[in-house]
Amino acid sequence: MNRAAAAAALAAALLSTPPARAAPRAAPLSASVAAVKDRLSATLDLGPAFPDEAIRRLGNGLTNVVAVVVVVVPEDGGPPAAATGRVVEVLYDVWEEGYTVTVRDARLPRPARRTVNDPAALRRLLADASTLDLGPLLLLPPGRFRLEARVEVNPVSRELMERTRELLANPVVSGRPGAGSRSVLGAMAGFLLRDPAPGDDVVLLRSRPFARAEVGLP
Amino acid sequence: MAPPAPPGAPPGPRPPRVSPFALKLMAALVLAAVLPLVPALLAASWLADNNAGVWLAPRVAERLAEVPGTYQELFRARKQLYAEQARTLARALPAGTAARRAALEQAVIRLPLLRHAAVLGPDGVVLAEVDAPASPEDAGWRAAPVEVTLPGGERLRATFAVEASLFAELDETRELAETARDMEKTRGEVRRSIVLVFAATVAGAALLAALLGYLMARSTARRLARLAEAHRRVAAGDLSVRVEPERGGDEVAALARGFNVMVGEVRQARDRIVYLEKISGWQDVARRLAHEIKNPLTPIQLAFQQLEARWRQAPGGDPAFGRLLADAGEIVRQEVGTLQRLVEEFSAFARLPDVKPEPADLGDFVAGFLETSPQLAEAADVSLVRAGGPVPVALDAGLMRRVLANLTENAVQAALPARARVHLGVARTRDRAVLTVADEGPGIEPSLRPRVFDPYVTTKESGTGLGLAIAKKIVLQHGGEIQVGEAPGGGAAFTLAFPLAPAGPMTAA
Repeated sequence: MNRAAAAAALAAALLSTPPARAAPRAAPLSASVAAVKDRLSATLDLGPAFPDEAIRRLGNGLTNVVAVVVVVVPEDGGPPAAATGRVVEVLYDVWEEGYTVTVRDARLPRPARRTVNDPAALRRLLADASTLDLGPLLLLPPGRFRLEARVEVNPVSRELMERTRELLANPVVSGRPGAGSRSVLGAMAGFLLRDPAPGDDVVLLRSRPFARAEVGLP
Repeated sequence: MAPPAPPGAPPGPRPPRVSPFALKLMAALVLAAVLPLVPALLAASWLADNNAGVWLAPRVAERLAEVPGTYQELFRARKQLYAEQARTLARALPAGTAARRAALEQAVIRLPLLRHAAVLGPDGVVLAEVDAPASPEDAGWRAAPVEVTLPGGERLRATFAVEASLFAELDETRELAETARDMEKTRGEVRRSIVLVFAATVAGAALLAALLGYLMARSTARRLARLAEAHRRVAAGDLSVRVEPERGGDEVAALARGFNVMVGEVRQARDRIVYLEKISGWQDVARRLAHEIKNPLTPIQLAFQQLEARWRQAPGGDPAFGRLLADAGEIVRQEVGTLQRLVEEFSAFARLPDVKPEPADLGDFVAGFLETSPQLAEAADVSLVRAGGPVPVALDAGLMRRVLANLTENAVQAALPARARVHLGVARTRDRAVLTVADEGPGIEPSLRPRVFDPYVTTKESGTGLGLAIAKKIVLQHGGEIQVGEAPGGGAAFTLAFPLAPAGPMTAA
C-alpha cells in the first residue's frame, strides 16, 4: 500500500475546499513557534490526540496508519497559509511483542523506521512533533495565526476507494476469486461512490493565537 | 381529417401539446413500470445493507481484528512451552561433555521443534552443541531461542522453531482484517451508491415507460383529437363535417365510422324536418291561393252565362257581336277551366293527407301500379326490374301511387313528342328498400337538381311545379328519402329509399 500517496491525497484534501460534512470539534493544542532561518518552526504536543484507548487500539496487531497534518491558519479563519504532514504506520508485532513505527514524511528522503517496546514509548513517539518546518515566514497571514493539527487514524485512502469501486464493478461470483463478472450497475455504483465521512477517528487540535512578533515579524 | 371549420363556427379551444389521454396512458405505463420496482428498490436497500454487509459487517471486522491477539496468546504459550522444555532439558543434563552432547542429541530427537541446543561455559565458549538434521520444513521457520542458566555459571541455549505457516497465516489474516476494517469505513457510502444506482434504474425505467407510453398514445390521441374537433363542429351546427374513414379495426376506428354514420343520419333528419316545414309553409300558401282564385271563378262563369243567355233571348242582334261573344265565351270557359284545375291542384297539394302506412312488398306494389295504370302503358314503354326477393316496407298505397304517377308523368312529358321509355327498378340493401324511376329523356340540369323538389319549380310551360314537391313530402313522411340524378343513358333518374319493415307480419307504422 502506498501510504505516501494516501498522505498526499489527505493533505491535498485538507488544503482544498472542506467537505460539507460537520467538522470535528477542536481540542487545545500545546504548541510553540520560532523563526529558524526565515522559516517557521513549530513544536507541537500531539499527546491529546493519543489517549490511552487510542494507543491500546494501535496495539491490535494490525497495521494502523496515523495521518498527521499541521496547518497554519489565520486566527479569524480562512484558507491555510502553510501545511505539513506525515504518515505514521504502527504495527504491533505479536511475536516480538513490540511496535514497529514507520514514519513517512515528505521532508525525509526515505521512511524512518523505529521500534519501541511499550505503549508509553509509542505515545511519546507519536505525540512528539518537534521542529516542524512550516515554510517561509513570508507566507504567514498578516494578522495573528493559529496552528491546527488534524490527526486521523486509518484514513480511507484513494487506493481503498479504487479497490472498493473495483469490487462493486467486478463482484466475485460464488465466492470464487477471479471469477468476477463485469457489472454495469456495479460500475455505476462505483462511479457514485464518494469518500466517507471521517467519523470518530479524526482528532482536531487548535493552538492559541500567535502574533507575528513572536517569530520576529512586524 | 375533418374539413376546415365553416366561417361562422366558433373557434375551438387550442389543443394541448400533449393530450390528456396520452398523459393518462403514459402515467399508467409509468405506474406499471415503477410499481414493481419500488419493492425491488427496497429489496436492494435491504440487500445492500445486509447481504453485502456480511463482508462489511462491523462484527466481522471486529472479530478479524482480534485474530492477531489470538496469535499473540498462541505465541506466548509456545514460548512458555519452549522455556519449560528447555528447563526440563537443563535439569536432566548430565555432567561431562560427551554425556551432555549425547543428552542434547537425544533431546533434539525427542523434541521435533528443537532445532539447536548448546551448552555454553561461563565465558560463553560452546562446550557442547547439537543441530537437528536438516528438514524441508525448516524453510521459513522462525527461531525462538531460550536460555537456561545451569549451575556453575554455565548456560543451556535451546533454539526452538516456530512454523512459518503460523506467521503466513497471521500475515494473511492481518491483511484480511485490515481490509475489512477499511471497508467498514466505506460501508455507508457503498450502501448509498447501490441504492442510488437502483433509484437511477427505477427512474430510467419510468422514463422509458413514459416515452413508450407517449409513442403509443400519440397516434391514438391524434385520432381522438380529430374526432373531438369534428364533434365540436357538429355541436356548432356544422353537419357537413366528416372524419377521415379509418381502416383500422380498433375502437377508435369504429368510433370514427359510427360518428360519420351518426352525423349523416342527423343531417338527413334535419334536412327532412326543414323540408317538411318548408312544404308546410308552401301548402299554406297554396291553400290561400286556391281559396282566393276559386271564389271569383263561379261569379265570372255565372255572369258570362247570363250574358250569353241574354244574347240568345234578344233576336236580331248584331251577328258580329254574336261571334265575338261566342269566341269570348270559349276563351272564358277555357281559362276558367284552367284556373279550376290549378285550384284543384293547389287544393290537393294543400290538403295532402297524412300517411297511413300498411305492410306491403315494394315490388308487388310497383307491379300493381303498372297493371292498374293503362294510360301509362299507352303513353310510354315501361319496364320493371325486381332484384332479389321480397322487399317488405310499410307504405300508404294511395299516396305512393301518386308519387309514382307524378314521376312517370314527368318522364312521359319529358320525352314528348317522342314516346317515353321508363325503367323502374326495385331492390333492397342491408337496411333499405330502393325504388328507381329512370327515363331516357333530356334529364335535369345539374344546376337545377338542388331545387327540383321545391314547390313551383318546373321546366314545363303548363306545369305547376308541385308534382315533385308532393312526391318528396310523401316519401319523407314514409321515413324515406328521394334523390335525383342522371340515368346511365342521360335521362333523369329518381332514387327512392325506404326503411325496410321488420321481418314477420308487417304492421302499419
